[in-house]
Amino acid sequence: MKHIAAAVAALLIAFGITPARAQNAAPKEVLVGAIYPLTGNAAQIGADARMAIDVITEVINGQHAPMPLAMGGGGGLANLGGAKLRVVFADHQNDPQKARAEAERLITQDKVVALIGSYTSATAVTISQVAERYEIPYLSMDNSSPSLHRRGLKWFFRTSPHDEMFTQAMFDFFAETGKKTGRPVRSVALFYEDSIFGTDSSNVQKKLAEAAGIKVAADIKYRANSPSLSAEAQRLRAANADVLMPSGYTSDAILILRSMQEIGYKPRAIMAQAAGYQEQAFLTASGPLAEGIFSRSSFALDAEKSRPAIGTINAMFRAKAGKDLNDNTSRQIVGVQTLADAINRAGSTKPEDIRRALTATDIPGDQTIMPWKGVKFDEMGQNQNATPVIQQVVNGMYRTVYPADVAVMEPTWNVGR
Amino acid sequence: MTPEIIAQVLISGLLMGLIYALVAAGLSLIFGLMDVVNFAHGELLMLAMYATFVIFAATGLDPVLQLPIVALLLFGAGVAIYRGLIGRALGVQFNRGTVQIFVTFGLAIFIRGAAQFIWGGDFRSVSGAWLSNRSAEFAGVFIPLPQLAASAVCLLAFAGLLLVSRTEFGKALEATREDRDAVALIGIDRNHVFALGWGLGAGAVGIAGAMLITFYYVSPSVGANFAVIAYVTVALGGFGSMLGALVAGVIIGEVEAITALVLEPSLKQIGMFAVYLAVLMFRPRGLFGRL
Amino acid sequence: MRGNAITRRRRGELVVGAVLLVLLIALPLPIRDVYTQNLIITTILFAGLAQAWNILGGYCGQISLGHALYFGIGGYVSTLMFVNAGIPPSLGMFAGGLVGGLIALLVGWPCFRLSGHYYAIATVVVGEIGYLLFLNWEFVGAAMGVYVPFKGESFIDLQFRTTKLPFHYVVLGFAALTWIAAWLIEGSRWGYTWRAVKDDPVAARSLAVQVFPSKMAAAAVSGFFTGMGGAIYAQYVGYIDPDSVLSGQLSILIALPAVLGGVGTLWGPLLGAAVLIPVSELTRSYLGGGGRGIDLMIYGGLIVVVALARPAGLISLLGVRSQAGGADIPAKDADARAA
Repeated sequence: MKHIAAAVAALLIAFGITPARAQNAAPKEVLVGAIYPLTGNAAQIGADARMAIDVITEVINGQHAPMPLAMGGGGGLANLGGAKLRVVFADHQNDPQKARAEAERLITQDKVVALIGSYTSATAVTISQVAERYEIPYLSMDNSSPSLHRRGLKWFFRTSPHDEMFTQAMFDFFAETGKKTGRPVRSVALFYEDSIFGTDSSNVQKKLAEAAGIKVAADIKYRANSPSLSAEAQRLRAANADVLMPSGYTSDAILILRSMQEIGYKPRAIMAQAAGYQEQAFLTASGPLAEGIFSRSSFALDAEKSRPAIGTINAMFRAKAGKDLNDNTSRQIVGVQTLADAINRAGSTKPEDIRRALTATDIPGDQTIMPWKGVKFDEMGQNQNATPVIQQVVNGMYRTVYPADVAVMEPTWNVGR
Repeated sequence: MTPEIIAQVLISGLLMGLIYALVAAGLSLIFGLMDVVNFAHGELLMLAMYATFVIFAATGLDPVLQLPIVALLLFGAGVAIYRGLIGRALGVQFNRGTVQIFVTFGLAIFIRGAAQFIWGGDFRSVSGAWLSNRSAEFAGVFIPLPQLAASAVCLLAFAGLLLVSRTEFGKALEATREDRDAVALIGIDRNHVFALGWGLGAGAVGIAGAMLITFYYVSPSVGANFAVIAYVTVALGGFGSMLGALVAGVIIGEVEAITALVLEPSLKQIGMFAVYLAVLMFRPRGLFGRL
Repeated sequence: MRGNAITRRRRGELVVGAVLLVLLIALPLPIRDVYTQNLIITTILFAGLAQAWNILGGYCGQISLGHALYFGIGGYVSTLMFVNAGIPPSLGMFAGGLVGGLIALLVGWPCFRLSGHYYAIATVVVGEIGYLLFLNWEFVGAAMGVYVPFKGESFIDLQFRTTKLPFHYVVLGFAALTWIAAWLIEGSRWGYTWRAVKDDPVAARSLAVQVFPSKMAAAAVSGFFTGMGGAIYAQYVGYIDPDSVLSGQLSILIALPAVLGGVGTLWGPLLGAAVLIPVSELTRSYLGGGGRGIDLMIYGGLIVVVALARPAGLISLLGVRSQAGGADIPAKDADARAA
């Protein structure tokens, strides 16, 4: 077996494809393992995450004028003699078994000091298990399933808000806007895909709707990546709720909007659980159909006034990706920043030191590009200062409308009209 | 549930069903001819959608006008696949059945990887085409024009396939299907007929893909969304039967739409699968398959 | 005379099998690298699964593209028994296997009446139905799947913190069992019946009545081992959800090593797994990070090339021929001659 492995590796090298693995952790480098979907349905998400991570590592390692960011001074990790942060990527193909194998490979072969990733919930479950067993910190950058941090894990950290925090923000926004305009939300239609993300999101929405006295007019779980969503759109039209609350990825987001338009239905308001609805591909494909959609977000591109680093970071990302930072890519930036900050404060590459430094993390919001209060982990490893925003699409771009301290405009509110 | 809703859902099911039918027609044609199930069929559909997308982005030529171009491109791809791979797979001495299945399966993985290499993983769609996002309304029932046009094109394509079967070439197809060895005696080159059959089958998928992109998105893995439905449609209609593909496509489309309306939409595919299995219990070779 | 030759060959196979087993027992001892250990375990697991598939798909000639159903059900049964009732997976995996075999019988009952591609497509559809049901069934965790809590190192619970060696021997035992089952079947009356059917389609018609029960038996054995493999997988990975243990893609992955290695042979599935799994894992690990799909192109291309260049499987490189005539779909030619 080892011979075959060696032979295949030799073959790959012969074809001029060098393994991405580190030969030997150079003393002047600190390695972090990143596990993302780089092939398959969510491949673009992984590719975008990778470009965002490249941007922030350039900022951390490069020589440049100091930026208004934690770790924005450049020159590497100062407390480790200016060691460079290097991120090694692996592909989990959205398969929990492969995510587990790649996590083990990164830990044992590449000797990474921490793991980051992984976009999908199922892979985050197995990566967090490996991290726990090998006692290596795992920093979840973009997994929003609330169940992840509630398993009593010691090595799991999450910088981003989870679905309960996101959904709470939506209902707070409903309450405030309803009071302000005198046209409150009386009913919602839930429309979610049959994945962990979709069901988790809808469960929270149901709970919060009930608590707020809002009627759930439709509760529709749909098959992800269906060839057609026409009948589903018809059911949404029949329910005719004040607000449609979809949770799904780009493909279905494009399709349901078109399907509703085809049958002449335009919901009075749409409040999306980000994901696909925040993707540039969705906005491009939907054009005018996407106008007026609300979405929760962990990021506000238009918050440059209070987060001065956004302009530079976004320009760097644009140069690589040809599009602006979004909800998902921005979370990679703050995640890597947080990890680098912890490693630097630890002044050590020992996992236990890094873990302890992570628990002591306290980065103020204006030292990040996020509109949050900041980064500070609670005892379960969840960032309690990650405060999401609500945005609305205006002229094909998401503009922040809530909360007031980062809002750039008043929402257009058609409920009750 | 108002009559409008029911009418709306039935129409949606019919329009979608005709598209399933055309996707399945190519698969069925190839199978009928040479007993080969093409497990890369969904990937051919994906290629057709990308081709239309790329031509539209580069030249602005509307997808409807691209139909002949994309059909020809896919025809070429079909012939090339037959000449390069399938012809060889048919010539093997052992395990012809499994070899054929897994050659097309390997091809599917390869095409998916190649699409990701060329176009990346993002979801793309055509917007601003003539038909994009337009519907006609009759008495509260909306008919989306892209799907309507796609259905019309599907029916035309079926008529075309029927016409082809009346020509000399069609007779050669039929004769080859009936008895592969005997046709050689009357001077028909079996390989040639098979290659053209693959071309036609892929061409039909090309037409379906070009119409589909006017209201659907494309990504390297989009083929999987349609593939299983295509196999079910073909097996339900009966391998090799064009009429079977047409009827089965409509049945599948309607069953899908109705289950999504009255049951949990996430279970809608179980509805169509159950209908398929039930039919197979009584007609093991599908509705129109030769017993 | 001929009988003697056969007995001698079969005895020889046993000897080779025993030597291979000893080699595989010793193989992991000098290996310290976790990634390589994982690669070997995955390879052996898939060798066992492919052998299980081979019993139905190879020897019996029923090309099933829905084996993930038995795999997933086996995994769910043992995991749920462990999580909900505390029954250790070392027992649970046999329960998982039994349920897997039972389901295979249930699927086989209607589906064996279908021929050729109709059977293959029907198995795809049955597998999809199983996937969708589990995806929507709250009791089994629906889309959330089932998370196996770590209760500490234990052979009875098949749980180990970071060491992989015990799992190596678990999967090796599993693969050895499937191999012995295949070896026994080759020499059994079923084996002879299937071979006769393969060699002569007319005989297939006349034997049809007797063939059906033997097909059911093959399905039960194949389903049993596949379910057992699923249970081991679940315990190894520590988490199962419908996407990872019931997907149509997995059904293909179970069949592929047997097909490329040599359908209907004792050694084909082993050889197929030994080539295929490392190639797919290594291309993903060392090329997949680029995210450009190159790993998929290599993997897909390899399948095409091997299937075309070695239709009797990689095993034919070693001069071994299929004992059961392989799984040809006779459909048209056979029907034409039989009619």
